[in-house]
Amino acid sequence: MKILGVLLRIEWLKAAKRRTFWVAVGAFAAFTALPVVERVRNARSDPNAVYALPESWPDILGSATGVGPLFVGVLMILLFAPEFSWRTARQNVIDGLSNERFYAGKAVVLVGLVLLFMGTTVLIGVGGTMLSPGGGGPGFIRPSDLSYMGGLALGMLVFGSAGMMLSAHLRSSGSALAILLLYLFVEEVVTRLMLGAEIDALRGAAEFLPFNLVEDLGDDLAHYPDVLEGVNADRAERGLAPLAFLKVGVLAVAALTYSASFLGRAFLSMRRRDL
Amino acid sequence: MHAIQTFDLTKRYGTRAVKSVLAVDRVSFVVEQGQVFGFLGPNGSGKTTTIGMLVGTIKPTGGGFDLFGASGPEGLLNARARVGATLETPNFYPYMSGRDNLRIAAGVKGVGRPRIEECLELVGLSARAKHRFKTYSLGMKQRLALAATMLSDPELIILDEPANGLDPQGIREIREIIRTLADRGKTIFLSSHLLAEVERTCSHVAIIRNGRIVTSGAVAEVVGGGSAVLLRAEDTDALAGAMEAYPDASSMRRTGEGVIAALESGDLASVTRYLAGHGIYLSHLAPYRPSLEEVFIDITRGAVDPMTEIAS
Repeated sequence: MKILGVLLRIEWLKAAKRRTFWVAVGAFAAFTALPVVERVRNARSDPNAVYALPESWPDILGSATGVGPLFVGVLMILLFAPEFSWRTARQNVIDGLSNERFYAGKAVVLVGLVLLFMGTTVLIGVGGTMLSPGGGGPGFIRPSDLSYMGGLALGMLVFGSAGMMLSAHLRSSGSALAILLLYLFVEEVVTRLMLGAEIDALRGAAEFLPFNLVEDLGDDLAHYPDVLEGVNADRAERGLAPLAFLKVGVLAVAALTYSASFLGRAFLSMRRRDL
Repeated sequence: MHAIQTFDLTKRYGTRAVKSVLAVDRVSFVVEQGQVFGFLGPNGSGKTTTIGMLVGTIKPTGGGFDLFGASGPEGLLNARARVGATLETPNFYPYMSGRDNLRIAAGVKGVGRPRIEECLELVGLSARAKHRFKTYSLGMKQRLALAATMLSDPELIILDEPANGLDPQGIREIREIIRTLADRGKTIFLSSHLLAEVERTCSHVAIIRNGRIVTSGAVAEVVGGGSAVLLRAEDTDALAGAMEAYPDASSMRRTGEGVIAALESGDLASVTRYLAGHGIYLSHLAPYRPSLEEVFIDITRGAVDPMTEIAS
């Protein structure tokens, strides 16, 4: 436990002194705050547009699903990969951390980033509801809200783990960022299209590709069956096929499997390779 | 009690036989506690790889080593708490101040803030401690690396080229710090190209070439291991010619100072008798002790026995 405290302290010092870290956190907060500001303004001008808890959780969490996981993945790379080009990873090990402990320090950063970004999202959203007139239904948070919150956190964890794996493997922030973005915006889209064009059984497999998985976990319709029901009824009226999502439990297990395999690969890379 | 002991320590990069590189080849040496040990070798000879294995950043592919008698992953991790080291260039976070960089190292080593200030003071960086590392000159970076090395007041200090790229003033400062540490009884393992400094500072040396230790021992033994003599006479050509034919001379060379010959028996009286018999009368005859630099250059050029090579 003592070593965990040491890792937490030194990793916080490394991050807190880095301008990139605060710029990323600030940019994420701004992205998250924009829709919240809009909702609060609407609620103040239109008595029918209520922005209050617990009904507004989907809006609050939805404001972060678009950028949250990507921000965690990118920031993880920016905080990890330069340690190799600056050779500070090597110096940390020379100073007394083992390769495994150095890796554990970065795992602490990953957990910290997920908590920080989730916390920022919740703080901004809840702060917004406090500035809005009117009140919501009973209770502060519902099971579906918790499920959505967990889905968002898992999405961040998957992308952050991917960032860790790419950093440990490539040891260059430029290359790691390029591969991450290329995969997310080109490779997976192409793979999905290719799988979709093939037989139906493969189309199902495309659902489990990492980016698709994170998108589904961050989609409020996957967590709120009653909302999904309404949307599908609307689609049926317009002659459109209903939307379907895998069970959240299945999505969560798949996301955890991805995260564990990315982290495991990063661990093996740290353990086996020289610094 | 030894601080470092290596047994056939080996590092091969790459797994394919054709493309693999044997960087360190069965290196064995011992550094006793309290020694100031110079680890010398030309660029690419395997010095940094050997040191990397000692400090845990490079994994050996053969052989092994112990630090303070401890071996195995856990034993070495604990033993490394008694070691301070820098490898090649100083490695710090460029966006952080010198003091904050030391806070990171101190956090890893479990050292408190007062010690950070002490070390900054010791290397003369207190006034610049709040400035970012990337604004430091190379000399300041090297001094910060030394400060980081000394944070935990280690028993063994491993320094890889601490004077690299420094101007004469910087070299002098680093030398003074190393001497201060040596005077405090620290064991110092020093890799350096500044051979005159090593000869002055170190008690023992090992010379590595192509990944293999070619000689090691006390500095006096390494530089004075043979029985070479420096001879002078009025006619240097005649002297050189005569010594070339002298049966007891295993090798001979001419220098600006005269003729240096390695004698197998070390019998000086026979030399004078032999030369007088050839009509050559010596104006100077004295044992010749090469500098460490001469020994190093000759050994790393190819010969195994320094004196044989010097005299050839």
